Amino acid sequence: MELKKTPFYQRHIQENGRMVDFFGWALAVEYESMLAEAKSVRKTCGMFDASHMGQIIIKGEGCFDFLQYLTCNDVLTIGKGQMQYNLLLNAQAGVIDDLMVYHLGDSLLCVVNALNKDKVFDWFRQNLANNVEISDESDKVALVSVQGEGSEKIIDKVFGKDVAELRYLHFIQKQIDNSQVLISRSGYTGEDGFEVYLPWEKGGHWWDKIKQAGKEFGLVLCGLGARDILRTEAGYPLYGHELNDKITPYQAGLGWVVRLNKDFIGKKVLLEEKQKGPDKKRIGFVMLERSFPRQDYPIFLDEKEIGFVTSGVYSPNKEAFIGMGYVQADCVKLDNEINISVRGRLPKAKVTNFPFVVTRTKKVKLVKEG
Amino acid sequence: MADLKFTKSHEWVKIDGFQAKIGITDYAQSQLGDIVFIELPQAGEQIKKTSQFGTMESTKAASEIYSPLSGEVIEVNDDLVNNPQWINESPFDKGWMVKINMADPKESESLLDESSYKEFVDKEAYQ
Repeated sequence: MELKKTPFYQRHIQENGRMVDFFGWALAVEYESMLAEAKSVRKTCGMFDASHMGQIIIKGEGCFDFLQYLTCNDVLTIGKGQMQYNLLLNAQAGVIDDLMVYHLGDSLLCVVNALNKDKVFDWFRQNLANNVEISDESDKVALVSVQGEGSEKIIDKVFGKDVAELRYLHFIQKQIDNSQVLISRSGYTGEDGFEVYLPWEKGGHWWDKIKQAGKEFGLVLCGLGARDILRTEAGYPLYGHELNDKITPYQAGLGWVVRLNKDFIGKKVLLEEKQKGPDKKRIGFVMLERSFPRQDYPIFLDEKEIGFVTSGVYSPNKEAFIGMGYVQADCVKLDNEINISVRGRLPKAKVTNFPFVVTRTKKVKLVKEG
Repeated sequence: MADLKFTKSHEWVKIDGFQAKIGITDYAQSQLGDIVFIELPQAGEQIKKTSQFGTMESTKAASEIYSPLSGEVIEVNDDLVNNPQWINESPFDKGWMVKINMADPKESESLLDESSYKEFVDKEAYQ
């Protein structure tokens, strides 16, 4: 099957992007070096093509009640112009997908993982009420993510001051140069940044403008490799690694996303799990020896196998191999020494808190002058 | 680079009398991407032509390093273990891996010279 191309495909080729098949999409995993790219985002700034992400719009009178019942976070607490991290759970409280929910006024925009888009759309359809409509906008929306300290100045230059002044997890919709755009102050790197949703056919125009404006701020093109390194450094889970339909929010360390004061699919299981405690939990670890912890490698404690690795990267910002994994609950604590089984050896690692690096997402609105 | 010999598994050899220095080529490192880990044999170990003598890991995957020649390891680039990025930055110089005493200098006759290696790489890159 031919791979799907984002509006920026030709630009990735021109920039010598190392193209890979990412769940059916042709995307660049890196341009020159993913380590250099991931470093630049924490030092200056970087831009990513995230057009593979899915966008589903829920509208109609009942749209809020509909999503409130399908997710575990409280959708009713999102203000207009704000966004929220949320989880779709099945009846066993396993994660169907993690998503960002944007409050558009009388409708909701759900930004979902590329690999789960069709599954989520089907799940919505199965649970649909009479007064709710859903539409898949994924093929109409391009997404460029600008991340890092310089992102505010670039966004100011290209999209205006009103956008650059957004607070964290807030967004704005505006008409500019004949394009209807939606821009939020958000991202998947742990840095200050913006996610820019563009009309598919206008994508290239804005890509070039952002890239040009970013030159003086050290903007670097970043591929999927850097994206994965940065989200791992920030301690963010990734679906297919730390999350799947057998893992619950409590096991994943996402209890802060669960609101038990409302009714939702999966609540019953979570109430029980909260009482007795989850049987496994997500941990972070830093390798104490130079060794690459890769997905599915077993984790040991005192020669006993206690779990497995779900993600591992070399962190260019921490200058160490870091990883995440699942272990039996109550068998390890912070700073405990564990071992990762790497090709027949058992190098040491230390259990660590998230994030692995200092994150710099903007929490406070900038004080306006005058 | 005229004094270098090459293998189809993308190692290079620099022969000096009965000694040979071994590393991987610029093409190999560019295909692997950022190298973040390397494991090398110790001085005194015997290595065999076309057998694995080390392991490398890039951000993409783990790969084996094969010996272009047989012999005894007499020197190891120990600094490389803590600076595997040297293989990317300087594959023919700072990125050298081991030096051996050749067991059979005739083995080197089957290695590729620079132009044959270049031709081989061009073909491989084209496929």
